[in-house]
Amino acid sequence: MSEKLFGVFLLLLSVAGVIIGWDLKAPISYEPVGPNAFPVLMFALLGICAAILVVTRRPATDWAPGGALLRIGGLFLVVLAYALTFDKIGFVLATLAMAIPLARLFGASWKQAVLGGSGLGVVLFVLFDKLLDVALPTGQWLKPWLG
Amino acid sequence: MEVLAHLLEGFRVAGAPTNLLIALVGAFLGTTIGMLPGLGPINGVAILMPIAYAMKLPPESALILLAAVYAGCEFGGRISSILINVPGDAGAVMTTLDGHPMAVKGLAGPALSLSALASFVGSVVATVGIVAFAPLLANWALAFGPAEYFALMVLALSCLGGLVGDSLVKALIACLLGLILSCVGIDANSGVYRYTFDLLHLSDGIPFIVVVIGLFAVSELMLMLQSHHARVAPVEMKGRMLFNLQEFMLAKWTILRSSVVGFFIGVLPGAGASIASAMTYAMERRMAGKDHCFGDGDPRGLAAPEAANNASAYGSFIPMLTLGVPGSGTTAVMIGALTLYNITPGPMLFQEQPAIVWGLIASLFIASVMLVVMNISFIKVFIKFLEIPTWLLVPGVAAISMIGVYAIHGTTFDLVLGTLLGGFGYLLRVMNFPMAPFILGFVLGDMMEQNLRRALSISNGEPGILFASPISIGLWIASIALLFGPRLFKALEKTR
Repeated sequence: MSEKLFGVFLLLLSVAGVIIGWDLKAPISYEPVGPNAFPVLMFALLGICAAILVVTRRPATDWAPGGALLRIGGLFLVVLAYALTFDKIGFVLATLAMAIPLARLFGASWKQAVLGGSGLGVVLFVLFDKLLDVALPTGQWLKPWLG
Repeated sequence: MEVLAHLLEGFRVAGAPTNLLIALVGAFLGTTIGMLPGLGPINGVAILMPIAYAMKLPPESALILLAAVYAGCEFGGRISSILINVPGDAGAVMTTLDGHPMAVKGLAGPALSLSALASFVGSVVATVGIVAFAPLLANWALAFGPAEYFALMVLALSCLGGLVGDSLVKALIACLLGLILSCVGIDANSGVYRYTFDLLHLSDGIPFIVVVIGLFAVSELMLMLQSHHARVAPVEMKGRMLFNLQEFMLAKWTILRSSVVGFFIGVLPGAGASIASAMTYAMERRMAGKDHCFGDGDPRGLAAPEAANNASAYGSFIPMLTLGVPGSGTTAVMIGALTLYNITPGPMLFQEQPAIVWGLIASLFIASVMLVVMNISFIKVFIKFLEIPTWLLVPGVAAISMIGVYAIHGTTFDLVLGTLLGGFGYLLRVMNFPMAPFILGFVLGDMMEQNLRRALSISNGEPGILFASPISIGLWIASIALLFGPRLFKALEKTR
């Protein structure tokens, strides 16, 4: 069932892709095949494959049981929040805020999570920013102290 | 002779102190990553590639690092297979069958050292194979025009599509999604913005690193949570650490045979370490006749998959270096690393970038020696890493992945896009869509389109040019055979 639903989604995607792609034309064209041909062809093929997915018999998908699925969704949201805050609040703090809930999801105690998270933030910051010369965001909030 | 001179030059590059150090670090990290269940070579290479780029390593050093990580993973996967009966990566699945029973019998030490030797022989045989065959293939491919190139990429994609995953249509969808994502951004020929939805950040296209981190780091973490359960304690190591002469004599021909077979399987685009190890295991089992204890701790059952998975991993460098068409998901990621440095992979690579190509080949030799020494004498150090708790590993991987993505443009947009792609990748993976065709499609998409358009420009729009030369006709026939062959074969076998 999930695969069929996904097939419907892909079918809609391919229709949208073909419609958007159709109008991608170069103002002045020097070549017989313009910028729209390849993507339109790919979206069309995707549409055919998606239609096969919808009409043929599909095996049932093994989704994780409800509780686990909720935790996996939680993990995704935590990583998404990490991505959103990474630049703004700085690497160390963002990493701490990400590591605590993730460690908890994987069965750490609160103490382990907090210690592990701060350790990770500080150690990785020193390793990458100071030793390996990969610049990491410090976040605006540290500016007054760092000068 | 010319080859030997090039190889010597390669050793000069790979033997430079910094590159030696980089190979050592890569070999060590690779073994560790390969050993940890859930993380394999593709994740390791995906996570480290942006870091190497951000550290401004020169291209040859970056490739040496990634190659050493890849090789190290194939060594490391066996450790958890043997000690905790959980394969460390996909290539080490077969190693559990005889490796773990050996460990349970109190032969953990001999199992680890014998499999390290098998991995080493597999690596060396395959590296010799690269030196022997790669220049020939590259020379042959120089005659390719855009039409042949287009057909070649279709071949690579159908090879992967025909072999992996549980259904052809899913493999095709994965591949098409990759190809479609590669179209996003300004079209190089006409300057038209394609599928950018007026987002400034998309005008240069979706960065390769963003796709790779999403598909192989973020979604991997979600899968790790799905299959998360209490780690089994490793079998305790006691008694002798080294295999004895009897075990070696029993396995020596198995190791050699499996290395050669594994190498040739690896050269085929798409057929990677997991297929090579499964095939050689079955082959050795059949050849052993009645006199064996396969499945119950036979040294040959341990040696065969380990020799084969290393040999095939190394073999997959051949299509990558000579044709610019990766032979496995991991080499697809490495091709992406080359394009980061504005190096166009393909047959010209051997002529234009001899230092990179031969430095990489020489470093495979060097890394193999480092790995076998590490994996036999410092095995106890690596086992300590099995104790890294998952709750620390997962946030660590998340943080390092984000560091890598942030290093390219330093924008929140890339980080968010990578995470969203990761969520999408998780859904695809749960529904058993294979990821290797996806990443291969994304890597090859641009080259494929450019060659198609170039070919059609030459013929003034006449599609017949795609099927004009004998080489392209051969490639098209091979594509069709590879796409439908394996599944047709399976279906026929079922009806019998």
